[in-house]
Amino acid sequence: MDELELLKKDWQKQDSAYPKLSYEEIYKMILQKSSSIVKWIFIISLLEFVFWLLLAIGLKASGYNNEYGGLYSSPGFIVLSVLSYGILAYFFYRFYMNYKQINTTDNAKTLMENILRTRRTVKQYVGFNLAMLVVSVAYMLPFALSHDDQTQALIEKAQANGEIFKFYLGVIMGTLIILLITIGVLLFFYWLIYGLLLRSLNRNYRELKKLEV
Amino acid sequence: MDKELEHSFVELLEKHQNIVHKVCRLYTNNKDAHNDLFQEITIQLWKAYPKFRGDSKFSTWMYRVGLNTAITLYRKSKRSITTQEFESVSFKIKSEAYDDTEEQQLKLLYDAVHQLNDIEKALVFLYLEDKNYKEISDTLGISEVNARVKMNRVKKKLKTILNP
Repeated sequence: MDELELLKKDWQKQDSAYPKLSYEEIYKMILQKSSSIVKWIFIISLLEFVFWLLLAIGLKASGYNNEYGGLYSSPGFIVLSVLSYGILAYFFYRFYMNYKQINTTDNAKTLMENILRTRRTVKQYVGFNLAMLVVSVAYMLPFALSHDDQTQALIEKAQANGEIFKFYLGVIMGTLIILLITIGVLLFFYWLIYGLLLRSLNRNYRELKKLEV
Repeated sequence: MDKELEHSFVELLEKHQNIVHKVCRLYTNNKDAHNDLFQEITIQLWKAYPKFRGDSKFSTWMYRVGLNTAITLYRKSKRSITTQEFESVSFKIKSEAYDDTEEQQLKLLYDAVHQLNDIEKALVFLYLEDKNYKEISDTLGISEVNARVKMNRVKKKLKTILNP
């Protein structure tokens, strides 16, 4: 006999072998909180939005108290700020709409696609922020260099010693290294959290997709 | 949610709870993991219940939510990937009708099914529950042809596991 047929025969005989939970036991369960990955994705995604928002607000608040205050009223910076809040609103709207589409009564493949699409939106938002970080630093660096008295003194000293090229090279290299480390740390945490959370979902989705080839 | 809804849901689930137990049986290996998954499926069923319109059977609807939870939503705890103690302790059939050889063969078969991946387990589960390929393809979101092809591959894989 085919192995699965033998198993099926046995499987269908076993109804009495399972535990019987009482009405009260089941009722208690529906009062518990879910620990599904969808819930975690929602929480982590919200934290990501909040993180980038707080970072932007924090940077601005600290900026107003220092000597480069003028930077924040420059037209380029205002355009960047308006653009970044607009884009945050757009991404959040898309994230929320995608999240609302997640439905456990869809078929397995559609459910997985909807979850992955929700994640993709947040991933794009993080990618956008990393790009913005690079653009902002590139925009702010010359501004900071030309508006800070201490830096000006250093530039003059370097010019007097004929080391102006070395000075700028040092500043650019230093900034690049700090940026790379920051992005590297962020990506590492990203990989760690989502690698663990979505590993089995990605594996199962690939398995279903493989069937279509 | 109102009490009436809670009552009707718990009553229906109490009646059909074996479906959830069966999903848990295939996707977990010990009692704690079984209970964890049972609870998560129950919560997901409850969350989805207000949208259950009764245009499909409650049991059919349960298959879908139960499998989706096991395959996609459930975060496996470490204890679910330990031993196969549950299989032998809780559900070993003690029927007189089986001779030792058949019982041994069934034990090996259940062990082999546990070695399949999540999607293969879903196919086996629906097959064991006597679902046709149309229902299998609807539940997983693949075509009927692909469901058949995959099922044949799973059968071959089981043979390979049993006769390496």
